[in-house]
Amino acid sequence: MSFPFDEQSFQQSINRRSFLTRSAYGLGGLALTSLFNPKRLAAAPDPRGIPGAIQPLHFPPKAKRVIHLCMAGGPSHLESFDWKPKLKELDNQPFPASMTNGQQLAQLQNTPLKARGPFVTFAKYGQSGQEISNLFPHIAGIADDLCIVRSMHTEQINHDPAHAFMNSGSIIKGRPSMGSWLFYGLGAETENLPGFVVFTTQGKAGQQPVSSRQWSAGYLPGKYQGIQFQSKGDAVHYVGNPEGVCQSTQRQVIEEINRLNGLLADEKLDPEIQTRIAQYEMAFRMQTSVPELSDFSSEPKSTLEHYGIKRPGDGSFASNCLMARRLAERGVRFIQLYHRAWDHHGDIEKNMPEAARDVDQASAALVQDLKQRGMLDDTLVIWGGEFGRTPMGQGSGRDHHIKAFSIWMAGGGVKPGTTWGNTDELGYSYLEDGQDVDVHDLHATMLKLCGIDHKQLTVRYQGRDFRLTDVHGRVIEGICA
Amino acid sequence: MILTRCFTPARPSLTWRHTRILMGLLALASPALAGESPAIHFNRDIRPILAENCFRCHGPELKNRKAKLRLDVREVAVEKAAIVPGQPEASELIQRLDSPDPEEHMPPPASHKTVTPAQKDLLRRWIAAGAVYEPHWSYAPVQRPTLPPVANPKWTQGAIDAFILARLEEAKITPSAPADRCTLLRRLALDLTGLPPTPAEVEQFVKDRSPKAYAKQVERLLASPHYGERMAVPWLDAVRFADTVGYHGDQNQNVFPYRDYVIASFNRNQPFDQFTIEQIAGDLLPNPTEEQKIATGFNRLNMMTREGGAQPKEYLAKYAADRVRTVSTTWLGSTMACAECHDHKYDPFTQRDFYSLAAFFGDVKQWGVYQDYGYTPNPELAGWSNDHPFPPELFVTNQYLLRREAQLNAEVGQLVEAEMAAATATAPGRESFQSWQSEIRNFLKTSPDGWHVDLQPTVKFANSNSPATLTVQPDGRILCAGKIGKADKFQVSVALEAGWISAVRLELLPHPDHNHSSLRRETGGTEIRLGAEVKPAPGRTTKLQFYHAEATSKRPIYENGYELLDVRRTWKLGTESATNRQSAVYLLDPPLAVAAGDILEVNIEADALGCFRVATSPLATSSALGSGATPEFIQALECVPGRRTRNQKQTLASAWLHSTTQSLSTFAQLKALNHEILECRHGITPTLVTVATTNRQLTRVLPRGNWQDESGAIVAPAVPHFLPQPQVAGSNQLSRLDLARWLVSRENPLTARAFVNRLWKQFFGNGLSNQPEELGAQGEPPTHPELLDWLAAEFMDSGWDIKHIVRLIVASAAYQQDATIRPELRDLDPNNRLLARQNPRRLEAEFVRDNALWIAGLLDPEIGGPSAFPYQPADYYANIQFPNRDYLASPDARQYRRGVYSHWQRTFLHPMLANFDAPAREECSVDRPVSITPQQALTLLNDPSFVEAARAFAEKLLRAPKVKSDAARVNLAMETALLRPARKAETASLVQFLDGQRKYYAANEAEAQKLLHVGRSAPATVLPPAEYAAWTSLARVVLNLHETITRY
Repeated sequence: MSFPFDEQSFQQSINRRSFLTRSAYGLGGLALTSLFNPKRLAAAPDPRGIPGAIQPLHFPPKAKRVIHLCMAGGPSHLESFDWKPKLKELDNQPFPASMTNGQQLAQLQNTPLKARGPFVTFAKYGQSGQEISNLFPHIAGIADDLCIVRSMHTEQINHDPAHAFMNSGSIIKGRPSMGSWLFYGLGAETENLPGFVVFTTQGKAGQQPVSSRQWSAGYLPGKYQGIQFQSKGDAVHYVGNPEGVCQSTQRQVIEEINRLNGLLADEKLDPEIQTRIAQYEMAFRMQTSVPELSDFSSEPKSTLEHYGIKRPGDGSFASNCLMARRLAERGVRFIQLYHRAWDHHGDIEKNMPEAARDVDQASAALVQDLKQRGMLDDTLVIWGGEFGRTPMGQGSGRDHHIKAFSIWMAGGGVKPGTTWGNTDELGYSYLEDGQDVDVHDLHATMLKLCGIDHKQLTVRYQGRDFRLTDVHGRVIEGICA
Repeated sequence: MILTRCFTPARPSLTWRHTRILMGLLALASPALAGESPAIHFNRDIRPILAENCFRCHGPELKNRKAKLRLDVREVAVEKAAIVPGQPEASELIQRLDSPDPEEHMPPPASHKTVTPAQKDLLRRWIAAGAVYEPHWSYAPVQRPTLPPVANPKWTQGAIDAFILARLEEAKITPSAPADRCTLLRRLALDLTGLPPTPAEVEQFVKDRSPKAYAKQVERLLASPHYGERMAVPWLDAVRFADTVGYHGDQNQNVFPYRDYVIASFNRNQPFDQFTIEQIAGDLLPNPTEEQKIATGFNRLNMMTREGGAQPKEYLAKYAADRVRTVSTTWLGSTMACAECHDHKYDPFTQRDFYSLAAFFGDVKQWGVYQDYGYTPNPELAGWSNDHPFPPELFVTNQYLLRREAQLNAEVGQLVEAEMAAATATAPGRESFQSWQSEIRNFLKTSPDGWHVDLQPTVKFANSNSPATLTVQPDGRILCAGKIGKADKFQVSVALEAGWISAVRLELLPHPDHNHSSLRRETGGTEIRLGAEVKPAPGRTTKLQFYHAEATSKRPIYENGYELLDVRRTWKLGTESATNRQSAVYLLDPPLAVAAGDILEVNIEADALGCFRVATSPLATSSALGSGATPEFIQALECVPGRRTRNQKQTLASAWLHSTTQSLSTFAQLKALNHEILECRHGITPTLVTVATTNRQLTRVLPRGNWQDESGAIVAPAVPHFLPQPQVAGSNQLSRLDLARWLVSRENPLTARAFVNRLWKQFFGNGLSNQPEELGAQGEPPTHPELLDWLAAEFMDSGWDIKHIVRLIVASAAYQQDATIRPELRDLDPNNRLLARQNPRRLEAEFVRDNALWIAGLLDPEIGGPSAFPYQPADYYANIQFPNRDYLASPDARQYRRGVYSHWQRTFLHPMLANFDAPAREECSVDRPVSITPQQALTLLNDPSFVEAARAFAEKLLRAPKVKSDAARVNLAMETALLRPARKAETASLVQFLDGQRKYYAANEAEAQKLLHVGRSAPATVLPPAEYAAWTSLARVVLNLHETITRY
């Protein structure tokens, strides 16, 4: 393994050791004072946190955390943020072969290609005059906070590899996801919660599967993996006590485990035992913080209404957006919400508005809520899918498309009220005007905003230094404030 | 059981101490102390520096090479004066390293690389000494080195120890004492079988004074069938064995017989060369056996897709690259991944090598997308759905399933006998059995085959608008004529005779009117759904439930990759079978007593039926098609009661219990057992195999790995160009068989090194070269290169005998050392690479589970068979679709099968396995990380598998005889789990903890009950709940201990 000696855990375990001596393991009966201090459960980030691998940061960070609202399935850019009147004019006409010859297609392979005009209307919003479709009225309402990128492109045309590419910059399995990289590089500001948290929800149509490898830590140590929070049952797997075990019994069990592990540590002098003890403490803190986190009773009704939450904690995308804010407040580094609803091969005119309704209000509310709390400045919100959709129709819908798609970002040091990048007049391809953004560029830019030079965030694996951006990636300075 | 003598070292301590002193004296006299600098080895000392800092621009890769300078080839480096042998200061290499000018300085500042002063010093001294290059160690031929001299030969147990000790002596480090016997046997058992020894085995070993005591244990464990399970785990990681296809819908694939093959191969110590050949090319061997074909499942373990819109060519390229990565990593210990897009930057692998290796697999029958879509037609797969398997498959015999079937049949026999004994022990029971026999005798007089046919059924269409007409024939057949309706619903009413009905039969009969077919269509087939109700009196109906139905012939219906055997929901019949009489028999749940004249109404949904007939029977058996009166049954019935054989008694009893409601509970048990028997499918199961096709896929070099770029050269199968080439007669294109034979040829320098290096890691925690996936320039030079070569040579010369190498390793003194960390070596050898002690190691995920179940006494020790389903959090598969996935935890003893048999869902690996670092097996992996995370703590604390294990462990402790005090029982707990006596402080602490738990659960008995009911197994009712729960808490503590999940 590339981590024969984990300096960081070793240091932690040394610190832990002095802490343990103070808290008198092995003498029996004494509670772990800091472990059960109710103050630790408050919303403020844990001052101790988990240190990152990059010390000091390469640049002054603009963003301290990232919230990625992943519109899984691939939303149409042509009906969201990239207005193409020419495409509307060409509706149902043969699509210019000059554009499509030799290009990758998914389900449109071996079929005649016809243009499909956008079925929505666009208008300009805010002082910045950003063009946004009528499917997203709430997002349009925060136009001046948004940096819309219309020149995204990717390499992968099927969902599964496209998500892998979006997350890890590679389609080879076992590569760390961007959340894990960020957690590894920056650490987290909490020890009570995982540093990288994932939620998934699904709409009524257009769902596609999402694999847990999308939040895998790959070859980074397992502690950097994304932890999926569930909408039903335990929020985190195994975070609930077994039936018949109350919190106080569980605490006694953990204390006893750690007391005995402490005795073993005295004999074996093995720093791993100290790490194990620390992880049991953290496990217990997670067991107590997660229920507190999921308890929305302290949220005023107005907040719930703002997000459009019907029932608090109902596992909806809206509820998860509020959860994302609460996680951000508590020091979690990377929060990823998948909404599986955007694969509109057919019935796009019915299903896309539906998917938009699922996310529009809550996405906008999240940005506004963060702003209101002064957190938008150092929280980067990214909204977008794994690819876009063809300007050519596929029956009543659109096929997968990799040559152009749109995302937006807000906060965290991006230029608000900006539209970046261009596509051709039919929305088929990004323009090579120096403003195109590929997935590696997005990663490089995200890391830059977080204070990291993407070329210097490396880990040695299989004999070479790997990074999120592999040998690619350039920071898009033009969108950085 | 008290392990009093646990701490006796395996060898007498006196000798040990003696040795140590002796060694110290010898060390003083050794030349290493004289202050000379140790010799510089290019491979060990110099190559890593150049590879890290220079090869990127001055290495093997042509495209990025700067100034035409290569530092990996001495001639070029010397010619360019980068290196002037003997004159470091005249060498440009050194000048550049020292240059203060950023333009001149190497490595360039932008590379963020730095060469340390110590490294510069090494380079200087190396050049001063003549700049001698060595071929990269792993590419050089394997030659058996001579054993190094050691100062203390008494310590050594064999060649391995000589190499280890020589290095230690060079570093002036003394080895550790041997581990105590308790620790040693636990280590050995966990390393060789993945299971701990029993306390009795430890006791026996501790007491065994024979000089062969340890060797005996080694042989016992090597002979254990669990050895194969343990050895299989890393192999299954490497070959990425899983139960699902991995891409997109992550559907099930049928391939568990391959896992059984791997386990069996290790168990019978199949030589590694044969093991290799069978997996890569078993199908190409002359007259391959079934096992050899199963082995070729290896070539099918790449991830697969059937996503709509996926491009077949793109996915074929992905599959090909995946195979190259797997073969090169598993056998060659070389990460060739980068050569998919460009020549390797650090090693001599070219891009052409990558695709030439891929070309070997061009004959593997496969599809890029395993479905037939309009936009990507695959006519061979027409009509396939997301529920279909992934062809080609082979139906093979599986020993586990055969054993299980026999065992279940025996259980049915025992159940029937026991129930008969109970029933006929009473007069009413005997009478009931007698009168049933008389009834059946009477019935058989009119219906000798056991089936009752109403010769005058009434029939009509339930959907009255069908254009067809129906006529009843004299023998009770119903003949259809006229146009076929769209979805015909036939309603047949038959009059019943008094007695039981336990089976309903639908016969489809060929008829001359329909071209001698039972269906009224030429091609295709039909789908039949049958329902029935009994109408004893007008207005009253009893809807019949069926628990099982079988048909004489059917087209398969798949559910998530597996064929449904039962036709209860749908009987799919093709026209190809309709020219013969076909029938389906439906068994009633439960049988029903009816009166004469009661009407049975049968509703049949099916189109295109030609001629059919409905019958009923009072005689059901475990297999639906065996219902009615079989000759065996009639013989048994006719036999004089006192003279019936045991089999005949069984036959009658079974029919009685299956056909009446004599005992509903027995009937329910029989039903469940019959279902399990059926699922054994007579031991026949499909498995993915390699089928060679003559229609080879052409392999091109893909520029930058781009599958759409067809400008690259077409390549023939070839092994990497810089390695010794295969010796093949004739000029034929090389085959997979040639590749396999080449991989395990004596001339191949990589395979044996890669494999023994991984074995070493299994027993010491680190490989000799600690990047087992990369033995090339970017990997780690071995700490003991001669030892690695010696082992590789020994491995090959022994006939690739795996157990032989394992035996050598575990027999070594190095292996048997104590694992306690030695603070004095922290700076000298921080990662214990010189092995002055053993390394403690957390158990791998599967064994964390096995160990807990074993301690608890729950583990199911069966070998082989289909994957099992441990408890899993609800909705864990909610994000999987096509089809949507349910997860049903194994409802019986299979719940406690070993982790190696856990269902391996690639996109959502079981969280317990994932949390303990098991790979998802989407990609070849030969190096599992060992992390320590809070998720591991949460798993051991709260996963129902571990809570249930704690409860079972508590029960075991509470039932232990002759244990009087809490302290003694606590000791027993620790001895059972850790195989060592508890320390006083531990016992005291646990006893105090127990008291607290006891008080809590005494005051909260409802909570105790809840805790005791976690899991599927029932808690013992005789134990007082509070006490039982308190010990369960204590058992949870013990199962969570760091030591419990660590092998020392």
